[in-house]
Amino acid sequence: MRTRLLERALMLAVGLAWFSAPAAAQPGLRLDISITPATITFPLSDPDTVPIISATPIQVTYRVRQNNGPWTLTVLASGDLIAGASTVDISNVTWVATPAPPFQNGVLSKTVAQRLASGTDNINPARQGQVTFRLANSWTYTAGLYTQTIVFTLTAP
Amino acid sequence: MSLFSRRSLPFLALAAVAFTAPAAAQTATATLSGNLGGLAKLSLSSTTLSFPDSNPDTVPQIPAAGGAIVITAKARATAGATVTLTVLATDDLRSGLDTIPITALTWTASGAGFVNGTMSRQVPQVVGTWAGSGVQTGTQMFRFQNSWAYATGTYSVSLVYTLVAP
Repeated sequence: MRTRLLERALMLAVGLAWFSAPAAAQPGLRLDISITPATITFPLSDPDTVPIISATPIQVTYRVRQNNGPWTLTVLASGDLIAGASTVDISNVTWVATPAPPFQNGVLSKTVAQRLASGTDNINPARQGQVTFRLANSWTYTAGLYTQTIVFTLTAP
Repeated sequence: MSLFSRRSLPFLALAAVAFTAPAAAQTATATLSGNLGGLAKLSLSSTTLSFPDSNPDTVPQIPAAGGAIVITAKARATAGATVTLTVLATDDLRSGLDTIPITALTWTASGAGFVNGTMSRQVPQVVGTWAGSGVQTGTQMFRFQNSWAYATGTYSVSLVYTLVAP
């Protein structure tokens, strides 16, 4: 009985030590991100003359402080573009980002967060990137005003 | 005795989960908004039709010179809507004071959703209907009903096509 208690206590101690390890490695890690503007609009366009609709570019401002390792900025859609019961697959939305690196181009997903930028060490003072989202235009879409939320996440694992 | 007995596994799992969790993360949210409003676009392979002079006995139905008109109807419609293409003549066929009823002009159609018809100057005639958005392509082959009763002359009329995507 005593052996089992000792064994559990030892494992708990190991667990707690692991749990606190990242914080100990980067005790004051601070991340900041903002998006401007927060609404990305694709204007009405003729699919024949504008097969790819570009939205007005957004500005991503980010800062990474007291970091000792890599950082990653990802973007994930909360679902497909939706207008009532009609949907447009979110994979029809792509983006072009600058500067590269650390930014990279990509295709939106609703299931897997897609890497928008990545780097190492600190970014201080804050830097900015420009992202232009683009929608593949088509005559087959059902008419409507489509919306969807996308989430940008800055992490330093 | 093994250091890690079977009873120790839940503690090990807890420790592993905690270790792989992100140390820090910040998020920002934006909204995508796409105005995919209603659109309609119609194109015809030719905007003129002509029917050559012919003997009514041997050619009672004169086919249009140049063959069938190819129609491309592109529409972005609302959910559950029906896209409709119609044609309406502005008048009867006219040559000075002489006229020939526009109903002498008929057509046969090909292509999904396209239908045959007879021209009218009063009620728009359906050329095709389709469910929802998309690109539709078909043909319209016009024929003119020939007759000894017509006064000689060069007759003309305008036809107005209307594509509606509600």
